[in-house]
Amino acid sequence: MSPVARIGTTSERVLHWPVARPARASWSRARSLVFVAFLVPAMAVLVLVTVLPLLYLVVTSFTPLDLTNPGSLRWAGLTNYRQLATDGRFWSSVWVQTQLSFWTVGLQMLIGFAIALLLNGRMRLLELVRSTFIVPMVLPPVVVALIWKILFTPDISILDWALGLLGLPQPAWLADPSLALWAVIVADVWEWFPFVMLMLLAALQMLPSEPLEAARLDGASRWQVFRHVTVPLLKPAIVVAALFRLIDSVKAFPHIFIMTGGGPGTATEVTNFYAYLQGFSYTYVGYSSAIIVVMLLATLIMSLGVLAAAGREYDVE
Amino acid sequence: MNSPGHAWKVGGTALLIFVVLFPVFFIVQMSVRTGLEAFRMPPTLSFTPTLQNYVDLVEGKFIRALMNSTVTATSTTLLALLLGVPAAYAFSRARFRAQGLVSLWTLCTRMAPAIAFGIPFFLIYKELGLIDTRVGLIVIYLTFNLSLVIWMMRAFFDAVPRSLEEAAYIDGAGVAGAFVRIALPLTAPGLATTAIFTFLLSWNDFFYSLILTRSEAVTAPVAIVNFMNYESWEWGKVAAAATMIMLPVVGLSVVMRKYIVHGLTAGAVKG
Repeated sequence: MSPVARIGTTSERVLHWPVARPARASWSRARSLVFVAFLVPAMAVLVLVTVLPLLYLVVTSFTPLDLTNPGSLRWAGLTNYRQLATDGRFWSSVWVQTQLSFWTVGLQMLIGFAIALLLNGRMRLLELVRSTFIVPMVLPPVVVALIWKILFTPDISILDWALGLLGLPQPAWLADPSLALWAVIVADVWEWFPFVMLMLLAALQMLPSEPLEAARLDGASRWQVFRHVTVPLLKPAIVVAALFRLIDSVKAFPHIFIMTGGGPGTATEVTNFYAYLQGFSYTYVGYSSAIIVVMLLATLIMSLGVLAAAGREYDVE
Repeated sequence: MNSPGHAWKVGGTALLIFVVLFPVFFIVQMSVRTGLEAFRMPPTLSFTPTLQNYVDLVEGKFIRALMNSTVTATSTTLLALLLGVPAAYAFSRARFRAQGLVSLWTLCTRMAPAIAFGIPFFLIYKELGLIDTRVGLIVIYLTFNLSLVIWMMRAFFDAVPRSLEEAAYIDGAGVAGAFVRIALPLTAPGLATTAIFTFLLSWNDFFYSLILTRSEAVTAPVAIVNFMNYESWEWGKVAAAATMIMLPVVGLSVVMRKYIVHGLTAGAVKG
């Protein structure tokens, strides 16, 4: 806990309270003590519930730990990681994850941004739209998955009936290897495009009007204003929204568990789900830990990469 | 106002609202139909609603699961606020060397899929006898709730001017007194937002309950899946259970929508 306990003094308090000097000194000292007392419990619990478990995860990733074999918590070096490198099912799960992330994040950003632009401006319906759009996001993911499982199951689905009415093919979405991932993508996009939309709409409404008007006065077309003024100004919000969605797309679990169970075959088996199967269906917890460690590192590097790339461009502007 | 452009916009908006809400309505109407009738196509608009599915649920074990959900989500929210709010206040009012480290760590935990904590907690709980207990769930929910509370509340405290607290301190309130009497009441809307988010995330949890509970402490989202497996094709009951799980969440969000939108978009402002 020692690094937390050191408190730097700040000069800004002097600006706030220039009169009562002795009082200020005791205020500042008293504050230091209280702040430490405020911080220590939270930091201790945070270390206990997040730092230590993740360290333990790294430890188990170096062991052949098997839940059915109590003596298996022993050092095995890089065995799990070496096995991972040649595990075809692991690499297949990475590819499924890549497709899922690409399409869900891409579609959510496109649809969310388009709708935010459509709704920007004064409109009486806006408050209603906001309330409505919260609903998919706050629904328990299990309910979202169940709703779409029903909608994608032939014979019991109104979607299936409507397709038939239009003379369109009525595929068994969840049983078809080439369509099952798309069913998951549709459910995820429905659940989360409102997040992108609400975030970008808030950012749009906080845009300063001067640059937009200046560009219009200079004779810029609507497209030019959008491309060269609106989009650059919105970029921080766009980057943050995309990053949040990207991180969450890697964590997809309930949809796949309920809608497809990773199938048919391994058509919708993302890495997260594969790790779950290895750990809790096949009881190979050590191997499962190694999958998760690799996944965590990859997500971290990817996210820092996105932030770094975006950050550099901000500096140029 | 009555230009074709405006009409097009209103029409488009109405269509959007329909697309977003239709799946929810679909499952709610399914819950008040009898088994066979739910799947008659084309769907009939005129039918006699029945509460039979709900009666079946109440008579079964589902109520217990709902109680588990309520107790764990409420307890973990209170615990996270109790620990996290003072810490957030300290982070907002003083500079610590470790602050950057804590932020980076928060980002790391935000990225970790649930299973990253699920595996070590499962192994430790097995030793401690905490598998299938409410306490076990309440503690593991702190993995995401505590840093969420610190992160959100810090932004809310940043918006409260410091001079007010110093004035209270000079008047003899003490540092903790200034925090309780001045800073806390001024951040009441922020507290409400934070509490709603922690409650939502815990209530909606699926993964931790799936791997850490069996029957005693099982929460509603997992209970629903269990009777989906054993009593397959009882879709009316599944729909009724889904409706019961989402009702408090949707109700809360509609009533508190201003705070929810605020909380969701806070990330954009903070960057």
